Amino acid sequence: MSTTVIDYTKELPVVEGRPTASQIEVVVTAPLDQFPPRKWWYAFAVTLSMLSIGGFCIGMSLYKGLGLWGVNQPVGWGFDIVNFVFWVGIGHAGTLISAILFLLRQRWRTGIARFAEAMTIFAVMCAGLFPLMHTGRQWLPMYLTPYPNQHGLWVNFTSPLLWDVFAVSTYFTVSLVFWYLGLIPDLATLRDRTTSKIKKTIYSIFSLGWRHSNRHWQHYERAYLILAGFATPLVLSVHTIVSFDFAVSVIPGWHTTIFPPYFVAGAVFSGFAMVQNVLIFVRQYFNLKHIITLDHLEKMNKVMVLTGSMVGYAYAMEFFIAWYSGSQFETFVFLNRALGPYSWAYWTMVSCNVIFPQLFWIKKIRRSIPAMFLIGITVNIGMWFERFVIVVTSLSRDFLPSSWGHYTPTLYDAGLFLGSFGLFFTLILIFVRVLPVVSISEVKAVVEGAQPSHH
Amino acid sequence: MSTKQLYSITALFDSPDEIIHAASETSKAGYTKYDVNTPYPVHGMDGAMQLKPSRLGFFAMAFGLLGAVSAIGFMTWVTLIEYPLVIGGKPFWSWPAFVPVSFELTVLLASVLSVVAMIVIYFKFPNNAHPLHDTKYMKAVSSDKFGINIQAEDPKFDEKAVTEFFKSLGGKEITPVYFDEDELSHGQKLFDPKFIGILAVVAVIASGTTYFIFNQLMFMPPFNWMMTQEKLKAQKPSELFSDGIGMRNPVDGTVARGFLPYPFKGQLDSVGKYLVNPLLPTKEVLETGKQKYLTFCSPCHGNFAQGDSRLRGQFPNPPTLHSDKVRNWHDGNIYHVITEGQNVMPSYAPQIARDDRWAIIHYLRALQRAQNAKESDFK
Amino acid sequence: MKKELPSKVKNIGWALLFVGIVIYVIGYTVNPREAAFNNVIGFLFITSIAVGSIFLIALEYIAGAVWSVPMRRVNEFLGGLVLVAPLVALPMFFHLHDIFHWTDLGAVGTDELLKGKQPYLNLNFFIIRFVVVFALWNLFYWLFVRNSLKQDLSKDQKLTTQNIRLAAVFLPVFAITLTVTAVDWAMSLEPHWFSTILGVYYFSGTVLAAVATATYIIVKFHENGYLQNLKRDHFYSLGALLFAFINFWAYIAFSQFLLIWYANLPEETIWFMKRWEGGMQFVSVLLIIVHFAVPYFLLLPQEAKMNLKRLKFMSIWILFAHLLDLYWLVMPTYANGVTIGWMEIGFPVLIVGLIIVMLGYKMKRHNLVPVGDPKLERGLKFRL
Repeated sequence: MSTTVIDYTKELPVVEGRPTASQIEVVVTAPLDQFPPRKWWYAFAVTLSMLSIGGFCIGMSLYKGLGLWGVNQPVGWGFDIVNFVFWVGIGHAGTLISAILFLLRQRWRTGIARFAEAMTIFAVMCAGLFPLMHTGRQWLPMYLTPYPNQHGLWVNFTSPLLWDVFAVSTYFTVSLVFWYLGLIPDLATLRDRTTSKIKKTIYSIFSLGWRHSNRHWQHYERAYLILAGFATPLVLSVHTIVSFDFAVSVIPGWHTTIFPPYFVAGAVFSGFAMVQNVLIFVRQYFNLKHIITLDHLEKMNKVMVLTGSMVGYAYAMEFFIAWYSGSQFETFVFLNRALGPYSWAYWTMVSCNVIFPQLFWIKKIRRSIPAMFLIGITVNIGMWFERFVIVVTSLSRDFLPSSWGHYTPTLYDAGLFLGSFGLFFTLILIFVRVLPVVSISEVKAVVEGAQPSHH
Repeated sequence: MSTKQLYSITALFDSPDEIIHAASETSKAGYTKYDVNTPYPVHGMDGAMQLKPSRLGFFAMAFGLLGAVSAIGFMTWVTLIEYPLVIGGKPFWSWPAFVPVSFELTVLLASVLSVVAMIVIYFKFPNNAHPLHDTKYMKAVSSDKFGINIQAEDPKFDEKAVTEFFKSLGGKEITPVYFDEDELSHGQKLFDPKFIGILAVVAVIASGTTYFIFNQLMFMPPFNWMMTQEKLKAQKPSELFSDGIGMRNPVDGTVARGFLPYPFKGQLDSVGKYLVNPLLPTKEVLETGKQKYLTFCSPCHGNFAQGDSRLRGQFPNPPTLHSDKVRNWHDGNIYHVITEGQNVMPSYAPQIARDDRWAIIHYLRALQRAQNAKESDFK
Repeated sequence: MKKELPSKVKNIGWALLFVGIVIYVIGYTVNPREAAFNNVIGFLFITSIAVGSIFLIALEYIAGAVWSVPMRRVNEFLGGLVLVAPLVALPMFFHLHDIFHWTDLGAVGTDELLKGKQPYLNLNFFIIRFVVVFALWNLFYWLFVRNSLKQDLSKDQKLTTQNIRLAAVFLPVFAITLTVTAVDWAMSLEPHWFSTILGVYYFSGTVLAAVATATYIIVKFHENGYLQNLKRDHFYSLGALLFAFINFWAYIAFSQFLLIWYANLPEETIWFMKRWEGGMQFVSVLLIIVHFAVPYFLLLPQEAKMNLKRLKFMSIWILFAHLLDLYWLVMPTYANGVTIGWMEIGFPVLIVGLIIVMLGYKMKRHNLVPVGDPKLERGLKFRL
């Protein structure tokens, strides 16, 4: 198929063209020192408007209540939960890239880790918004936590919804610490580079006085390893627990034992798609094509075809066991998904998640920017519809036909969803202007010739 | 210059190979108070500097155990001691359900506290007053140079010897770094008015916001909607219904569960033929009958149904229930009287459930037989 | 680079194989039902090691891993067991009625659920699946090894590219075939019960068994001067792989348990109830300790993963744990409560004997190190 002969005796360079340390610094820090160009402002205006639409919908939901949404009996979980699971899923790629690939010694992660981690944090912020709105009384979030209160009550530790509170908040905190830990040396470098006094003060505060000392690097590297070691099971646990929200119930289509690994695979799948999509723009506009190389994108596409196939396996297994179990409710739910009123959503999901990503088997498509961008977008659409299918089809038609219903989202649902994208991309746009999108110190360390030769 | 206190002598190198060589030579030469500054961690440097492996793993282990133990302990305490609650028919101590939260807390404490421990204990950060900061040396190692510095504290330190030593290693820009005199003489001032001022502002804003949110905001619309619900309030007319009454009449012909309408109204004489006591005089039934009798009947009829009411004198006396008339009645007749009332006696249908009425009748029969026992009863 | 096993080891292998076959034969004459159930355990065990090894080969190619190249041959040798596994399974086909309730057509006729499953659970299709699955595994094994051995002589880099493509095709095939195996031989033992995760569950044990077997052999070889060039970093990677899959197994096992325990549906909990009565509860608890808690803590420290003694101990331990896991999966169908006797202990002997004999046979014919692999040099230089 491919005409290029790969030489397996040599390692592929992680960074192309052997840039020097100062060249890396210049290219990475350039956006931080310049006034944003017009294009950035256009983009910012668009995302900010999306965010304000979301803000308006949040305000209205606060003022009028959740009756504005499409949720009702029997579909009590609608866009809110779908979006929550969707955004948490997106947030999985970052920690996966920075922790699991770190443990697997995949050095190609260095170019994309920082950005992916930032995306994790922003995505988890978007995700956190929805369950909070879903609670109905958003100003009493402390009820979600076990604290001694005047009711003498404690939270229900056997509820997967409470596990979610712990999982998502832990995940957010650990991701933030992980991200910040990686930022410290870069902030120190920025501190020593900048000429502006205000910037210098800010960088000095946040770099904590980092001196690039090897006596510190030693502990720092160990801490990074420890964090990666903890973050790996953590990232698995988060979406596992999200899957428990569904799977511990007895609703047909929700209660199935493969949900935990299946949700994790799906989360990684959608997260990688999102990271790939955004990175395509970042490497283009910030001249980072030699640091975030086509090889890196190709590897991400490979991970996507892997996780996409895992998700496909889970779909198939669910269908098979629904039939094999002999349970009429299970069988019905799956037939209803494929042929019922939401079959359009089901087939969108299957084609976007399982069929289109198979194109990545072809090397040309794997390495073509427009093609991979399109497939990445379809994957995100597909993964959103996956959650939609799971949440809505099972609830709308369960055991008793007399209590069936149909779910129709309202404009406020759509506005909130749009607003979450606004929040996400606004944060990203700010991030790329105030912090280095690529880990300077890590990239310096993987450039050819950066490590002692005898090593 | 000579009055300044020397911190260290620094030297810069261009390549990782050189710095590894320099570090291992320095450690071989017996210096202990020295440090290497590199823009990124250089592989093999720990070996060259002969550093002991980091002990951070033990911190992580300890914090992780702390998280696990405190999570499991807390949940055990809540579910077994403080507020035991049956949830979903599961045992109080449902350990499988505790696993997720315990795991999350383990990870949270182990990772976050390890990082905090590293920053505070190992790095002694934040420290922006270190003499190396804002030197040319720092700027170089922050970017692309590899630096080494031997501190004046080192027992083997000698300014000239160290300079020569660095020169022999091929070091460039060998420069001394001095302590900042201002900082040495002043140190950090805790009671700096600026610092106190900022602290006060932060405190006022934080506490003010907290007060506002919890004590004011909660009682403003729309957050007070729990207080302004359109429901019926005691002593107030309903706002929802135009007639101001909160309760609605049930639809005509509605029958409440367990309260079948009584079909024999005003038929005391004939009812005995149709109604038969559905209960058997078992011990439980008699117990119920006794309890209900003592509660509802005895105030007028007396504890033994002799018409010796505790209310004697205030109402017309009820007759004794041991009369021949009552003894010869069918159970149905007595049931009719309890249900409908008779003379002054009102209906007890609302107070006494159907089966309880029949139970009272059994108890009454027992009372009657106790007063007028037959021969056969003594056998 | 060819190095034969010492004849002493080979003799032990033949002796174990002989003893195993004797137990096999006696078992089937004395108590064919118990023997057949033990045979299921033995069959799944050897399949784990065989297919797991092929999976590891494929994984190395698809992930572009270099550290495992110097020791890949051990996996390639172990993968040869995939040819023998059907032979181990053969006697069971004469006793399928003892093992599988669904083969009893009389019972199926009165059971609505089993009637519904008949399109899948019927003898003909079962045998077809068995044949197809093993044909596929043997085909892929043969292709992988053929390319790898060819490379020893030709040093042709294209063969690596070919194997990478092969691995990409193999992985989906592996996922489906392994699930089919798990459903056929483990889930259908209790034909009313179902769990979507069981394929993944068996997969986790499979990889663990394969890595453990390979680790033991590699360390043993290293100590006896066979694979001298391996460094701490290689062993660390093996140890880390073991550690990772220990956790993965625990994760999958716990997920399955928690979901069934929580939802409390009778048709699902019956399976766990059977494993919680008549002494089986001790086996269940033992499984948690043996298969997760002990190896977790013994492999947790960084030093432990490079400690050869610890690694050897842990590989044997994990192989035992996998055996216990299969026992836990299979035996409650045989009888309520714990069954333990000479047959339960005797059958694994056969497998160990088979592994040693297979190794001896392969090592006589093939290089111990893939000398022609372009990644070998990098693999030997591998540092963490």
